[in-house]
Amino acid sequence: MTTLGKRSTIGRSDLWHRIATSLRACGDQILVLVVLVAIWQVLSMTLGSYWVGSPWGVATRFVAGIGDGTLLHQASYTVIEAAAGFVLGALPAVALPFALRRLPIATAILDPFMVGGYGAPKLALAPLFILWFGIGIESKIVLVAVTVFFIVYFSAQAGIRALDAGLVRMAQVMGATERHVARHIVFPGAVPYVFAGLRLAMPYAIGGAIIAELISANRGLGYLIQLGAMNFDTTGIFVALVATICIVFIVNWSVNAVERRLLRWRPVSDVTLQAGT
Amino acid sequence: MEEPLLEIRGLAKRFGKRSGRELAPWIIQDLTFSVSEGEFLTVIGPSGAGKTTLLNIIAQIDVASGGEVRFQSQSAPIDDLKALQPGLACRIGYVTQDDHLLPWRTTLQNVLFPLTVQGRLNAETRTRAEMLIRTVGLGGFENHYPHELSGGMRKRAALIRTLVYNPPVILMDEPFGALDAQTRTQLQEDLLRLWNLGKKTIIFVTHDIAEAIALGDRTLVLSRQPSHVAGKHAITIPRPRDVRGIMTHPEFGALYQRIRAQLQ
Repeated sequence: MTTLGKRSTIGRSDLWHRIATSLRACGDQILVLVVLVAIWQVLSMTLGSYWVGSPWGVATRFVAGIGDGTLLHQASYTVIEAAAGFVLGALPAVALPFALRRLPIATAILDPFMVGGYGAPKLALAPLFILWFGIGIESKIVLVAVTVFFIVYFSAQAGIRALDAGLVRMAQVMGATERHVARHIVFPGAVPYVFAGLRLAMPYAIGGAIIAELISANRGLGYLIQLGAMNFDTTGIFVALVATICIVFIVNWSVNAVERRLLRWRPVSDVTLQAGT
Repeated sequence: MEEPLLEIRGLAKRFGKRSGRELAPWIIQDLTFSVSEGEFLTVIGPSGAGKTTLLNIIAQIDVASGGEVRFQSQSAPIDDLKALQPGLACRIGYVTQDDHLLPWRTTLQNVLFPLTVQGRLNAETRTRAEMLIRTVGLGGFENHYPHELSGGMRKRAALIRTLVYNPPVILMDEPFGALDAQTRTQLQEDLLRLWNLGKKTIIFVTHDIAEAIALGDRTLVLSRQPSHVAGKHAITIPRPRDVRGIMTHPEFGALYQRIRAQLQ
């Protein structure tokens, strides 16, 4: 009864509170942005725009690049590589721990190899993948997939290991079969962990695609960075970096939105509450 | 005399030995009792007396190390975890100490969960679920997630989640232990009302003597570890009982003293 009362009164004031805090956070964020741009401007003026492209120059080139479509065109390659690699790496990374759930011996056998794969510097593999798969889109996708796979694999596995045995026993007493347990208990329980892994892997996916492009490519944001460096065009490099950051922002925002929708059942964590104030 | 619904004879339990240690001590040793159909049996014992272990063995989510457990003339496996049949094909319901609601399901979805996995979800059972939700005062909270419910509400949801699929036997492990006195009395009344509707067989574990007397037809007192039956008491206080006023009943005082003496 008390909970009902609390909920109905919270409704509106809670909404206002959230709008107010998010506005305040937004204002603070703009302040930090202004400070960062100011530092950038100072660096550009003291070192010369030859070494550090000026914020204004970067902004004009950025807008022009979007206007004539070249930037979006190059960025689309990077995004496609990252997205394809992400899916290719994340799907088996989620499926494998589920498949291995009832096979502790197989898990134990695989474990050292997985730890090794997780620890190996994937970026150092980029030249190898380029040798194997060529300078086209394939080598980038493979690099991203390998990077994403190990991050998501360990998160998904942690989610399955965190399974509450009490919930499983309860379900079995009620007549749940192994399939019911997997579908109604193991999977939803692991979703928050899988999402944590996906969120962590996302910037690595975009970073991995760009690094592979840096080493050898004729298109993509990494190629733009490489081109800028070769032509001593620091502004060009900064434009590509800003574009990268924008992509990470957009993707991160989408992951958050999907996560919020899927994890409505979770109590708002203390951390989130503190972040709001 | 007809055979009791559940018969436990010479039950013994100890947990598996760990490497480098001698055998684990006996938790339960030579425990014998039986439960007849429709009976409300309350089980009381000091903490660590293996009460939860006993219920786990009856529900077949744990195995006995020795002795015999017969349910409807069918023996439970001894010392063979793989042969266990949790819940005995939905004939034994189990309300555990923790509510074990699925956090990603709403109240209604949690209550419907057993029907879903048993493939018995239809208009009729759904109506019954909604009726039960209203009966225990959870109307209006159907679409709330467990973390949005109070402790008492979660207990009620867990209770009706077991009632909804109508198992003939229900085991309850201190279901109201962690609640305040007011909520607890309310839930005890709810439980007795629901029991009167269906006359199920209930084995109710508690550490509260007054609760054991207020609810049960019979109270079993367990000894300290290794536990065995220290005493059996028929509770002759007539039903329907007044849970709130049970302490003032003339038979209460003597019963309470006898049980407490055996708990020492």
